[in-house]
Amino acid sequence: MQSGMIFDIREFTVHDGPGIRTTVFLKGCPLRCSWCHNPEGMSSLRETIENPAGKRVVGRLYTVEELSSILNRQASILSANGGGVTFSGGEPLMQARFLNAVIDHLNDLHVLLDTSGYASENDFRRVVEKSDLVYFDLKLIDHAAHLHHTGVDNERILSNLQLLAKINVPFVIRVPLIPGVTDTDENLEAIARTAKGLNGLIRVDLLPYNRAAGGKYSALGKKFCPTYDETLVQHVNVGVFEAAGVGARIVGDISK
Amino acid sequence: MASIAEHPVLSSAVSFDVSRLDSQKLRIRNLEHKAERSTSAPDLLAECEYEGLSWPRRASRLVRRMCESERPSIHDDERIVFTRTTASIPPIYTPEQWSAKTAGRTLHELGSISNICADWGNVLSHGLLERKRVALETRRRLMDEPEALEFLDSAIETIDAVLDLAARYANEARRMGKNSVAAILERVPALPPRNFHEALQSLRLLHAVVWMGGHYHVGLGRIDQYLWPYLKHDLDADLLDIASAEELLAEFFISLNKDSDLYPGVQQGDNGQTIMLGGQTREGKDGVNELTHMAIRVALYTNMIDPKVNLRITGNTDLSLLTLATELTRRGLGFPQYSNDAVVIPALVANGYDPADAWNYTVAACWEFIIPGKGMEVVNIGAVSMPLAADQAIRAGLLAHESFDGILKRTALHIEEQVRDLVKGYSTLLLPPAPYYSVLMDGCLETGRDLSCGLKYNNFGIHGAASSSAADALAAVQKLVFLDKCVQPEDLIAAMNANFEGCEALQDRLLHEAPKTGNDPEADSILVTLFEALAESCEAIKDNGRGGRIRPGTGSAMYYLWLTRGKPGDCNDAPIGATADGRRKGEFFSANLAPSPQAQVRGPISVLQAFSHLDYSRICNGGPITMELSDSVFADPEGMTKCAMLVQTFARLGCQQLQLNTVNLTTLLDAREHPERHRNLIVRVWGWSGYFCELAPEYQEHIIRRHLYGD
Repeated sequence: MQSGMIFDIREFTVHDGPGIRTTVFLKGCPLRCSWCHNPEGMSSLRETIENPAGKRVVGRLYTVEELSSILNRQASILSANGGGVTFSGGEPLMQARFLNAVIDHLNDLHVLLDTSGYASENDFRRVVEKSDLVYFDLKLIDHAAHLHHTGVDNERILSNLQLLAKINVPFVIRVPLIPGVTDTDENLEAIARTAKGLNGLIRVDLLPYNRAAGGKYSALGKKFCPTYDETLVQHVNVGVFEAAGVGARIVGDISK
Repeated sequence: MASIAEHPVLSSAVSFDVSRLDSQKLRIRNLEHKAERSTSAPDLLAECEYEGLSWPRRASRLVRRMCESERPSIHDDERIVFTRTTASIPPIYTPEQWSAKTAGRTLHELGSISNICADWGNVLSHGLLERKRVALETRRRLMDEPEALEFLDSAIETIDAVLDLAARYANEARRMGKNSVAAILERVPALPPRNFHEALQSLRLLHAVVWMGGHYHVGLGRIDQYLWPYLKHDLDADLLDIASAEELLAEFFISLNKDSDLYPGVQQGDNGQTIMLGGQTREGKDGVNELTHMAIRVALYTNMIDPKVNLRITGNTDLSLLTLATELTRRGLGFPQYSNDAVVIPALVANGYDPADAWNYTVAACWEFIIPGKGMEVVNIGAVSMPLAADQAIRAGLLAHESFDGILKRTALHIEEQVRDLVKGYSTLLLPPAPYYSVLMDGCLETGRDLSCGLKYNNFGIHGAASSSAADALAAVQKLVFLDKCVQPEDLIAAMNANFEGCEALQDRLLHEAPKTGNDPEADSILVTLFEALAESCEAIKDNGRGGRIRPGTGSAMYYLWLTRGKPGDCNDAPIGATADGRRKGEFFSANLAPSPQAQVRGPISVLQAFSHLDYSRICNGGPITMELSDSVFADPEGMTKCAMLVQTFARLGCQQLQLNTVNLTTLLDAREHPERHRNLIVRVWGWSGYFCELAPEYQEHIIRRHLYGD
């Protein structure tokens, strides 16, 4: 039976969708966003985290059977509480075949796919069609800027977003607010224009920047190299979306 | 999802003008009231000797002299009065006399009666004069029973002492021109209160005097049940509005924090001033009332460590009440602690409690279920070290080439041994007379018997401490030695003996490849077996020497630390070494029911599921599932509802008790470095909430190292 590389399974992830949820973090991501706060999700390989508390291996292979049985054991609790399972990463669609098989093995659980949208059209379509809700991360509309800050071109992402609007699955666009990068009025306006009128769009979520993002890098033996100025004051302009007639909200308490 | 969006939102804000009480709170947190304390205590030894007083009479004389030594302290801004001014409690025997009296006997902890709950509702509703009348009546009936007379005369002496103290407070209030305070104290606690204000004042005084008699861990029980008739009366008759009632209750709550630095406990804050809210009524109906909600709102306002709030719920409790209670959790106060009526009441009945009493349970200092006014139970005679039992069995069983089943059987035998030893130590238990506390109990004055002679319930309780680590050690042996056969028994024992020095690869397998409680069904089911063994060992003891049984529980009290680091000042109790779950010597065990700190766990759902498999009908001493939630859970309103749903899930899964701690790791670390910046930071320790900065470093460290969920 096929296996997938998972770097964490976390329950009661209250910010990862409706109701009480369990989030499965699939390891490996084609993007290299310089602000990534899950650097252990980047590499598809097993890694060792070393910090003052000790050493810990991140990344474990789960068979489809193993993972689905863990999730099915709690399915009735998650469902009774309006929740389900969220697949996140890394980029879960990097292991689309495995993910598909896992979803097929689930007992009627609400499935949320949290994706960067960077996947082949085929992989994207196959998993999205099996999901109940999609969180679609949209960072930058400008091609060059996207390439600079995330390491990949955004062409696939934007075309998958259009594809998503054609498949009958509700979705939320999530924008991480990176100071001076994604939180500029220019970029937010471009996102609003892109989002406007998309079939199935519930709203746009703006995710305030988390200064603690860099913390995990050294533990992985990596270096945190932000392509932006971390100390810049957070710019949160929901008005741009209101003006465009696109529902948007800020997630979490920005005052923190 | 309908249930999430649609439940009504209960207001969490108090509606009175808080400026008066804000300044009272500040005075107390700044310990200004300490300046009123006298450094001297009354000297009783000479008069006790001169008069040749018996033990009961010495106990009542102590209460009398303590009451007499109190100098009435009334502040202009106070409506509920009493501040203790005599800080220390003098001895009633010389050390030599005390040694002689207690020779060959076991004293529980500090010796004096503690950790029980009075029938406050009964005493309030009758008043002390009526209690005195009962005592006098019994006295006439039992004229030819000297012991009864001695007890009753002692009890009457304490009643008179409290009445005299109230009168002196009333006089002082008159002198100050505080006539309404005076009028209340001229009425209570002598007579039944006529309203909510009088009830709270009466309770404040009656409760404070218990501490003055040398007792500790003095719980307050189901205040929203026994105080409700007074509040309802006032609300119905328009004598009081909600805001004024809240203000009175808040002042009462604040008053409970005045003297708490004088209360003995393992750590500052471990003082057992618990209240229980909600739960069933005598008729089996839902007892939640306006006072239940009010008490939660007021606790949110006071934001202090006392009283420690408990809430009785079931799987059907309204999400709106749970969401209101979650406001307290969000505040990081470490309470409410939840008990599940649907599990606790049947368990008490199954363990010999009268159904006519079981509905009325409250908790002792931490979590132990007790019946107000009817129990002289010692709910914490000690703890079974589950890891020690497992460790002994693993080492001996592996050396003897036994099967895994054999190792499990050995573990059960070691548990039984420990239970027998603990109970044996308590066969010579000596409970000192407690005449004043007896006034507050059911039946003592009526029968002429001090509560130390026993009440309706006389059980002992034993904790099953650090159970998850024990289950994990056994699960590791089962999987790696017996099933996978990839670890040789002698290698495992050698590695444990070496504290895993140079055996890191093996340690890594034990830590990461073996099943863990709270994460894997294999370990969860071993945990069930361990508690079955504990229950069987306790059930085998038919009489604890006081006409009671032994109740096993799932709590750990402070043993989770004592088992790790050794009991302070007790070098006989060596801490346990490295264990087969991969834990090195000195590394922490978890408090109460929680996955071991070394285990990797997915989160609260698996944890609740794991602990839902225990047969709580046989483990009725209490002991909460203990979980730490990240404060980021509450960053938006949805998180509040989800936390309330988690509590509902706890109840629906049939778990028994739950406590949640909300923490921010960064804040905790900063508080350790800069205590002056976090003087008011409150955390849940093992069964109570205290100020983080007042805890010993090892307790702080343990909290920092607990699993954090929802981050």
